[in-house]
Amino acid sequence: MLEVKGLRKVYRSGSREVEALRDLTFTVENGELVCLVGPSGCGKTTLLRCVSGLLDPTAGDVRVNGQAVDGPPKGMAVVFQEYGRSLFPWMTVRDNVELPLKQKKVDKKRRAELVAESLDAVGLSGSESAYPWQLSGGMQQRVAIARAVAYEPQTLLMDEPFAAVDAQTRADLEDLVRQLWKRLGVTILFVTHDIDESVYLGQRVVMLSSSPTVVQDELIIDLPAERDQLTTRAAPRFIELRTRVYEQIQAAKKNTGK
Amino acid sequence: MTTAGRANPVRSGNPALLGVAGLAGLLLVIELAPRIGLVDERFLPPASTIAGALADEASDAAFWTALSDTIVAWAIGLAIAVAAGVLAGLVIGSVPVLRALTASTVEFLRPIPSVALIPLAVLMYGTDLASTLLLVCYASFWQVLVQVLYGVADVDPVAFETAKSFRFSAWARIRHVLWPTALPYVFTGVRLAASVALVLAITAELVIGSPGLGKEIAVAQASDAVPTMYALVVVTGILGVVINLLARTGERRLLAWHQSVRGEVAL
Repeated sequence: MLEVKGLRKVYRSGSREVEALRDLTFTVENGELVCLVGPSGCGKTTLLRCVSGLLDPTAGDVRVNGQAVDGPPKGMAVVFQEYGRSLFPWMTVRDNVELPLKQKKVDKKRRAELVAESLDAVGLSGSESAYPWQLSGGMQQRVAIARAVAYEPQTLLMDEPFAAVDAQTRADLEDLVRQLWKRLGVTILFVTHDIDESVYLGQRVVMLSSSPTVVQDELIIDLPAERDQLTTRAAPRFIELRTRVYEQIQAAKKNTGK
Repeated sequence: MTTAGRANPVRSGNPALLGVAGLAGLLLVIELAPRIGLVDERFLPPASTIAGALADEASDAAFWTALSDTIVAWAIGLAIAVAAGVLAGLVIGSVPVLRALTASTVEFLRPIPSVALIPLAVLMYGTDLASTLLLVCYASFWQVLVQVLYGVADVDPVAFETAKSFRFSAWARIRHVLWPTALPYVFTGVRLAASVALVLAITAELVIGSPGLGKEIAVAQASDAVPTMYALVVVTGILGVVINLLARTGERRLLAWHQSVRGEVAL
């Protein structure tokens, strides 16, 4: 279980103070897929960096399975928005996926299995020996996802992973995330600014206000588990839910903090 | 690139061919200028005479000893400078306090011309190899250090956070993120340092008289063996070219993944 309680983050530079996050509290149950959505500039990335232990919060705490986060926790993997910079250009696709496993001291035979399985799962078998920069943007993000999946995390954080890929690739990758989530039973916290994406992907959507950020609202997405780009997105319930989220985000833009 | 252009490489500017043509022209000028009395043959013998002197040198064991002395001084000096520069660069570059602390000192020490240290070198080591090494190391070290510092500063924060999020140890972050990022800069540094090291090695031998090609040049000049002097100068030039070629080849091999080497990739 991922618990975020009273999280606050203030950036200080000299005498200037910027309050990015004011007071955030929410939980993600084990095996749940929760989307965090908020207006641009609302501190989503700051929140994710606090959750992943890359940034120390000013106040409040983050717990993963009861353990307070004070550095990147075990069993957590992050997929960054900037896949081109997150993958190492000096390594082949295989080496990129394998390196975190080496750091985790997984033995060689198991590493080879995990690399092959995860690349197969994202549809990239046969690209092992390519360098990331030889692949298209969407394929690069698939490599980053494969790297995270091969790591066998219990918690997967995704920071606007599809913000920089084209619309069609994006739809494919959304389905990929749903499919991997169902198959692996992993807990996913998916950050996005795209309202439709959050409703399509999530079991629950947590809406954030503008900066300084608080939780604006939460919404259970009671769509069927089997989702499809055409029928789900055209379903009346989907439209209702996305309207709800949209209204809340609009309200959030006016209502900064409390 | 049309086939018509390729059929006439000189006109289309094939750089290799033009380069050879230029070199041949230079040799021709050096051959003719003294022969038609444009310059005094005592100061610039014709190219063929220099070539003859070069052939004589090549059959002389003393020449090969001098050449190997120079190469050894160059190689040892460069190796020490590169090792020290890389190590110091990685340490200083990854600790912000150290970087701030050393910035002004580096900027002060770096521009000091190495040749200004010749008296010190003679004082400390006389005409030993160590004298040459001191100068070579001093000059090359800064080239490497400064480049490594740039390289370390160039590490992509996203790549670094990726490594952190996968719980890479501090050593693994240096080995797998910092070092590959800095490597292209290291190569630039090594390439610059390799040329500077050769300049300083020859200078030290020439001025201090430590063993090597530089000393032989001075001896040839003192004994009025002008063609031999030129022949030795030519050898130092060739040495410089070979060193540069080696450095570039190594760079191309090891940095095939880097933008500067891989070129544009069609997606």
